[in-house]
Formats: sequence, C-alpha cells, structure tokens
Amino acid sequence: MRFNDAVVGALFILLAGAMIAMTFSFPPFPGQKYGPSLFPRIIASGIILCSAMLVLRGLKERREAGGPWLGLADWMHRPHRLASFALMMAAMVFYILASEPLGFILTAFLIQLCLFLWFGVRPLTALLVAVIMTGLVQYFFGSLMRVPLPRGILDSIL
Amino acid sequence: MTAITTAFGLVFDPYVLAVIMGSAVFGMFVGAMPGLTATMATALLVPVTFFMAPVPALGAIVTATAMAIFAGDIPAAMLRMPGTPASAAYADESYEMMKKGQLDLNMGVNLVFSVLGGIFGVLVLIVLAPALAEVAINFSSFEYFWLACLGLTCAVFIGTGDPLKGLLSLFIGLAIGCVGIDPAAGQPRFTFGNVDLLSGINFIPTLIGMFAVSELLRGAVTMEKGGMRVTQAVGSLMKGMGGVFRRYWKNFFRGSLIGTVIGALPGAGADIAAWVSYAVSKKLSKEPEKFGTGHIEGVVDATSANNSAVGAAWIPALVFGIPGDSITAIVIGVLYMKGMNPGPSVFLQTPELIYAVFIIFILANLLMFPLGWAAIKSAKQILRVPRNILLPIILIFCMVGSFAMTNSLYGVVLMVVMGLFGWFLEEQGIPVAPLILGLVLGEMLEQNFMSSMIKADGSFLGFLSRPIAGTLGVATLLLWALMIWKALPIGRARAAPA
Repeated sequence: MRFNDAVVGALFILLAGAMIAMTFSFPPFPGQKYGPSLFPRIIASGIILCSAMLVLRGLKERREAGGPWLGLADWMHRPHRLASFALMMAAMVFYILASEPLGFILTAFLIQLCLFLWFGVRPLTALLVAVIMTGLVQYFFGSLMRVPLPRGILDSIL
Repeated sequence: MTAITTAFGLVFDPYVLAVIMGSAVFGMFVGAMPGLTATMATALLVPVTFFMAPVPALGAIVTATAMAIFAGDIPAAMLRMPGTPASAAYADESYEMMKKGQLDLNMGVNLVFSVLGGIFGVLVLIVLAPALAEVAINFSSFEYFWLACLGLTCAVFIGTGDPLKGLLSLFIGLAIGCVGIDPAAGQPRFTFGNVDLLSGINFIPTLIGMFAVSELLRGAVTMEKGGMRVTQAVGSLMKGMGGVFRRYWKNFFRGSLIGTVIGALPGAGADIAAWVSYAVSKKLSKEPEKFGTGHIEGVVDATSANNSAVGAAWIPALVFGIPGDSITAIVIGVLYMKGMNPGPSVFLQTPELIYAVFIIFILANLLMFPLGWAAIKSAKQILRVPRNILLPIILIFCMVGSFAMTNSLYGVVLMVVMGLFGWFLEEQGIPVAPLILGLVLGEMLEQNFMSSMIKADGSFLGFLSRPIAGTLGVATLLLWALMIWKALPIGRARAAPA
C-alpha cells in the first residue's frame, strides 16, 4: 500500500502543524527565554521541511510519470491475504479487549488456535501447540518473571 | 586490575552462563529463520532481560545478536533466502556455490570467518572504547549536543537509501520522544491528559511494535503453507579451509576493517557493512568476473565484515551513548532502564560492567564455533519449522513482552499502534531505524540543547566556542550543507553524471 509521496508529505505537514499549535499552550520556563515549547517547535519545523520536499517530489513524479495517488500492493487484491492481515490486527485488538475479563490463558489459547487454523495448521497440531505454548508462556512470564498476567475468569473458577 | 577480576566473576557465574547459552540458541534460531531478523531477536529478548541484573541482560543481547548475524548465512546459502538482512549482500553468491556443490566450503568459510571477524571487531572495541572514553570525559553539553547531531545525521546519511525519508523518520522519532514530561522544565507535553502518556512513550513496546509486529503483518500476507525444504546435505566443513585462508587472508582483514569502521559509524550496521565490503572486494579483486558465479572471495570479505560490525557498533554506544546501529539503539534503551546512563562515566564508575561486556563478546564469538557448527548440521530440521506455527507464537510473545513492560494494557496498545504505524511507514519507503534512534536520543539531545542554550544565554555562537565542540559543530554543519546541496536541483544535476 504505497501512497504518492505528496500524500504522505501532506499528512505529516498536518500532524506537525497540530504539534506546533499545541506548543502554544505550554507555559514559559520561569526566568528563561526558552521554554518547553522550543524543542518541539524545532522538531516540528523539521518535519514540515522534509514533508514539503516530499510533496514537491511527489507532485513532480505525478507530473512526469503519472502514477496513482495510492498504489495497492499485490496482496491487497487477494481476499484471503487481506483477511490474513485483518485477522492479525483483530487478534491484537481481541487481546486488548478480552485479556482482562477472560484472563491471559484463555485469550492466548484462543488467539493461537484461531490463527493456526486460519494459516492451515492441522487441527490436532494446532490444538497441541496452542495448549503447550500458552502453558509455557504463562509459566515463564507469569511464574518465573512474576508478570501479573490477568487471571480473568480463572478467579471465579479456582 | 580488580575490576577485570570482578568482571570475570560476574560473567563466570552459572546463572549468567546459562542465560548466555540460552540466548545463543535463541539467536541462532531466529537468525536462521528467514523473515526473523537480528533486530527482532533483540526486541523480543528485551522484555525478558528487563527482569535481570545488568550483566546477564547485556550478555543475552550480545550473544543473541552475534549468533543471529552468523546464522543468517545458513538459509542464504541453502535456500537463497538470507536469514537476516546482513546476509543479503552475498546470498546469491552463496546459493550459486551450493548449486556448484560447494555448500560445505561455503558454510565452513561463513562459520570460520564470522567467528574471526567477530573477534576482530571486539578487539577493536576493547582497545578503542576506553581510550575514547578518556577523551569524552571532558565533554560538556555543547560537545554532546553536536555529537548527537552528528550521530543522527550519519544515521540518516549512511543508513538509508533515501536520505529525505530517513530524515523525516528521524524527526518523527524525535517528535514521539517529546511526549511526556519535558526534561528541562518538567512540563507535561502532548499527553492529552492521559496518565500513561505522562511517563512518555515507553521505548520497549514501541520497539516491539516497529521491529516485530510490523514484520509479522508483512509475514502474514506472504504466508505459504508448510516449511522450507533443504535438499543438499552438509559434509565436512573444515575441508579446504587452509587453502582459503592462505589465499584470502588479506580479504579477511580488509572485510573486518571495513565492517568495524562501518559498524562504529552511527546508524549503519552489519547489513551495510556486508554490502560495502562485498562491493569493495569485487572492485579490488584480481578476478572480478567470477563474482556472482559462486566464487568464495567476496563471501570471505562480507561474512567477516558483518560480524565485525556487531562488536564495533558498541564503541559509540558505550563511549558516547550514541548507537552504532538499531541493535545498539535497543541496548542504550536497556542501559537507561537499568539506570546506567551510557557515556564515559560508566568506564570510571562501573568499569567491571564494561569489562564484563568485553568478556561476554569474546565468549559469544568463541561459542559461535561449536553452536554454529551444530546449527549448520541441523539446518534441515530448523528450516522445516513452519512459519504458520511460528508467527502466531511470536505474536503472543510480543503482546506478553509489551504487557510486562508496563504491567498494564497500555504497553500492548502502544505496541499495536506503533506496529501499524511502523508497517505504514515502511510501506511508504520510510525506514523505521532512524525513528528508533531519534526516540532513544531525543531526551539526551533536548537536555543538552536546553542546558547549552541556557549556558550560552541564547547565543548560537556559544555552541562553537569550545575547541572540540567547535570542530564537531563545524563538521555537522558542513555535513548538513552537503545534504542540502545534494537535495537542491543544481547539486543533483552535478552529482548525477558521477
């Protein structure tokens, strides 16, 4: 998925503009000429400068060689691949939403199982690997490293 | 002397040795798997090392990266798929050698010269770093400001194919670094009233997002079923090694030297070292026509170079706190987390830690020989591990690792956002390595800039008034002028025919 450089440049000019606008609410450093707004403003100016050059370059490219505003990658035309991408994102969002209510063990197990099956791992292998890896990660991070992985519904069962 | 003894005691501890061994196997595996890079290995290791003392934490990173850079050579030769970008320069050459039935020789050369090149880089690190630290101890905020500017500029200039996009990436990284409490006045910036953002953008989840999650997203859409098949068996690795050594010892030294210099330059790492040394080897060779047809000469240069770059990249990282490549950028982040601010004072205050890093480096390179041998012998089995099983497992590791950094979902959210953002940037041809450098160096740069501004009372000339600061400043400004010149239409027209 490749945008023309002009589109990317315009996007970052907007972001940097917003950044500069926000610096005006920062209070000055008492007794000094330069406050917390100086450095972000320099950085944002740098972004704007680079982006402006990207915009010029992108427009020149369009003028000379044509080319689309947005070029889609090969895999984006293939529904199965597009679904793979969406599923990876969905898996992460699911973790964020579900790991606290369901608990780490169940969430990690479900994510792995779904992804394995989607990517064509045989069901028995998928089930076994998902169980073993969930157990290993829970043991390593949860018990050895003492990371407070959410227990979720385990609390009500055990 | 006592510091060295202490360092030996720190390293030769059963726990530390076990960590080194474990990360060596991990690094070998990740390096040997096409699509999983050495940087990704480091990013995945960091959450684990977070809970360790400094010596095992650094030991894990040193060992894993050294192994991964070598292990990338294995699938390059067997499948024409470099295991890490550092092996890409000579993947075709190695593959041609395999087709000619010289896989044994190729693997042997890769192993032996990776070990030797690695040790070369480490020796330079050991000799040079303490000497440079003595110079650097006199540096003030002016020198550090220019040094950081110079380092970042080099990163953009050398490390990327498109300097304009590299520079943009760097500025984005510096901008992301501005989120949180500002280092001079303590004013919260760009936090949108969010408590989590008050502590800044956490470095590790960002890293995992940019280097691992974006890679997984790319991997998911190119997924083929099953593993990869290796057909050719490996025989005796050491046969013919003496002949190669007698004939190409100069190439070894040249490759290692190029690798060391490029590794030590900020921003450029093992992959660029390999490309440059391979090109130099071809240019200076007596038989350049043989390059690309399965000729061992360029492989000697390049495989020595990428491993020597690993050690050399630590020189600017340890002495100035300026990363030599994206892996040492991670290391610097780890050092800050451990409360050891990298810079010359580490050499005075905790020399035993520096010596421990040196010892681990040598140990890791020696360990590379037996482990690399084992990895080559079992490459068939390793490469058969299917990616469709690996990818979801790595995803779980990423999420748990990011969670562990903040002990809250904030880490995971950050990882996902940064992963998607990193993926987007790479799709637009904007490299993410400069962004990470900017994020790591942002606070130091701003701190030194602000205190220099206050000391100089707002006069930019004050930045150039000390001799070393002046030299560094002029060098930086010249480099900037050169970049602007090249970007302008007149400069481009002149440069084009060359």
